[in-house]
Amino acid sequence: MADPRRRSPLAHRAPLTAEGGTLTIAERPLLGRLVLRVDADKGDAAVATVIGAGLPKAVAETALSEAATIFWLSPDEWMIVTAAEAEERLAADLGAALAGIHHQIAVVSDYYTAIEIAGARARDLLSKLTTLDMHARAFKPGEARAGIFAKANGVLFQRVADDAGGGPAFDLAVRWSMADYLWCVVAEAGHEWGLPVEHPVAGEPLFH
Amino acid sequence: MFVITCPYCGARDQTEFAYAHEAHIARPTDPESMSDADWAEFVFMRKNTKGIYAERWMHAAGCRKFFNALRNTATDEFLAVYRIGEPMPEVSAEGPATPCGEQPGSGNDAVKIMADDSGGGGR
Ligand SMILES: [Zn+2]
Repeated sequence: MADPRRRSPLAHRAPLTAEGGTLTIAERPLLGRLVLRVDADKGDAAVATVIGAGLPKAVAETALSEAATIFWLSPDEWMIVTAAEAEERLAADLGAALAGIHHQIAVVSDYYTAIEIAGARARDLLSKLTTLDMHARAFKPGEARAGIFAKANGVLFQRVADDAGGGPAFDLAVRWSMADYLWCVVAEAGHEWGLPVEHPVAGEPLFH
Repeated sequence: MFVITCPYCGARDQTEFAYAHEAHIARPTDPESMSDADWAEFVFMRKNTKGIYAERWMHAAGCRKFFNALRNTATDEFLAVYRIGEPMPEVSAEGPATPCGEQPGSGNDAVKIMADDSGGGGR
């Protein structure tokens, strides 16, 4: 049961839409997140029995199932994104399946939030914030890469393809403490295409 | 600004990487019995070659793995990257010479590579 006191890092920010609809940004709050570390070859089969998808093996690869999305972070580290409040159960199931295999599972849901950046100008906006190659030829639907966005570290995932109606949609996972900063930077980057200016908030209480 | 090729993630901007100094320095197996001079040698002394230098980098904003690189410190050209534990690849630092036949790099006479001393050191 969800704790009613739970509050997402960007709960004070309403979604923004540019005039003409070429850009929208919104928080995707409170998604369940795990970080799994295990030897890729030894853990692959056990993970597949729980999630229904095996571990991606190379940079930018992801694996998708009904239960979760798995991002490759490094040769022995993955981020697993699942529905809100589903992560504790998933962590327990993974732990049971990986019993006897050297591994570590950390629940990091409260450490991150995600900013969805969607629309025809989403790639242009992201290109202003990161040195990752955001060309459609280089960053493809279903891929995820860790990188630097303005001055914040994040993991960028293309969740919706470019030719879907409304253009591509990216989820930018960022740490809680950097979320409001990055929200304002994203809005500023999209200002030339019509996003309103957002002002940073200081003194936000982290817990209510 | 460099573009550095992470052996795990591919070509990324230098800002994603952290520098971790000279590679292939083995940690002493028996530090208790070492002299202060030997310890200082291990902790502080680095070759600081002008030319090909084996060094460690860490992909701090990406996979966060350490790896080794061979870089020409005179030109900042990355000649090879290889994973920790892999043997050092054979590379050549034969770069294009300057019009007067010198290796490219600093114009400071005191640090120019001598023809018979390509491993570094000054005049
Ligand atoms: Zn990397």
